[in-house]
Amino acid sequence: MSRQRYWIAAGICLSMLLVWLAFFWEPDIGTPTGHPGPGTLRPAGQPMGGDFTLDSPDGKLALQDYRGKVVLLYFGYTFCPDVCPTSLSALGQAFTALTPEELAQVQGVFVSVDPERDTQEVLSVYAPFFHPRIVGATGTPARVAEVARRYGVSYMKQKPVDDRPYTVDHSSFTYLIDREGRLAALLPHGAPVADIVLQIRRLLGDKGKPS
Amino acid sequence: MKFAKPLIITLVLSAIAGSALADSVLSVHAPYVRLMPPGIKTTGSFMLIKNDGDDDRRLVRADSPAARIVELHTHLNENGVMKMRAVPHIEVKSHSQTELKPGSFHVMLIDLTAPLNEGDKVPITLEFDDGSTIELAAPVKKPHAAMPMPHR
Ligand SMILES: [Cu+2]
Repeated sequence: MSRQRYWIAAGICLSMLLVWLAFFWEPDIGTPTGHPGPGTLRPAGQPMGGDFTLDSPDGKLALQDYRGKVVLLYFGYTFCPDVCPTSLSALGQAFTALTPEELAQVQGVFVSVDPERDTQEVLSVYAPFFHPRIVGATGTPARVAEVARRYGVSYMKQKPVDDRPYTVDHSSFTYLIDREGRLAALLPHGAPVADIVLQIRRLLGDKGKPS
Repeated sequence: MKFAKPLIITLVLSAIAGSALADSVLSVHAPYVRLMPPGIKTTGSFMLIKNDGDDDRRLVRADSPAARIVELHTHLNENGVMKMRAVPHIEVKSHSQTELKPGSFHVMLIDLTAPLNEGDKVPITLEFDDGSTIELAAPVKKPHAAMPMPHR
């Protein structure tokens, strides 16, 4: 990363933090409980991860309810015509490549950063379309912002052009959470399906023990 | 022989769309429209545009009766943040090709006029900067089918 890009990135992070503090900071919401595991792929200064509770079509969705499973987390929005479907399809294909035993220990979570339009009704159809093992979730704007912050996700609603539906710029990483609920790895946008399968198997093989 | 395959594809696509071959130096290969979950009214179309001519060409417009608004788009990946933006044109250099693919250039279909089903053929008209047009019928495909399969 060039020096200039580093400063731009640092600037963006700082301004996001300030924006978040200004609008969304709720001191009683609790501190992140997640902690990085040793020997993870997570570079320093990256997101902490941690437990959260959101609303899903099936009711409350708490990350801590998936302890013992490997969770793949993706943040996006359903009006997203390309980036989200690409990532979720890759996730779905990776799940399809797993054995039934492996699949039973894996869960996909699609967090909508666009709760304004992505109702539970929309999410209930959208997420399982890519794989039945992927569930949609969202919450109040403040809660979504809090979860996004913990995972280092940035998103910005764009001003719509004329009568077009607005789009949302957003980070497109897939977050891998190990059986203990720790953020273990980040996969960049466009990561090959084979890599996703490999990462899932690596975490399944860990049996949740610290490495 | 080198030109036979793209020519045949172009001819077939033109025939499907019920129109004459507009410009033989420009050809479109493997177009498709991405099938979206039920209820989602925006999607993208992807394809390979080949220019066997001696002049650079620009795709300047796309149109389709399948959507209220059709735009040329690209994605910018800025430190992992994907930003979708409309572009005025998509360049296809002479004796070269430009791929419209996920995460990059695409023909964006906004506000579909009717739900799309897998296998539907979506008529799309491409207009280039020399005034030529290509009409094609892009099949609707599941995202899975459009991506390379994983190694097991
Ligand atoms: Cu687009």
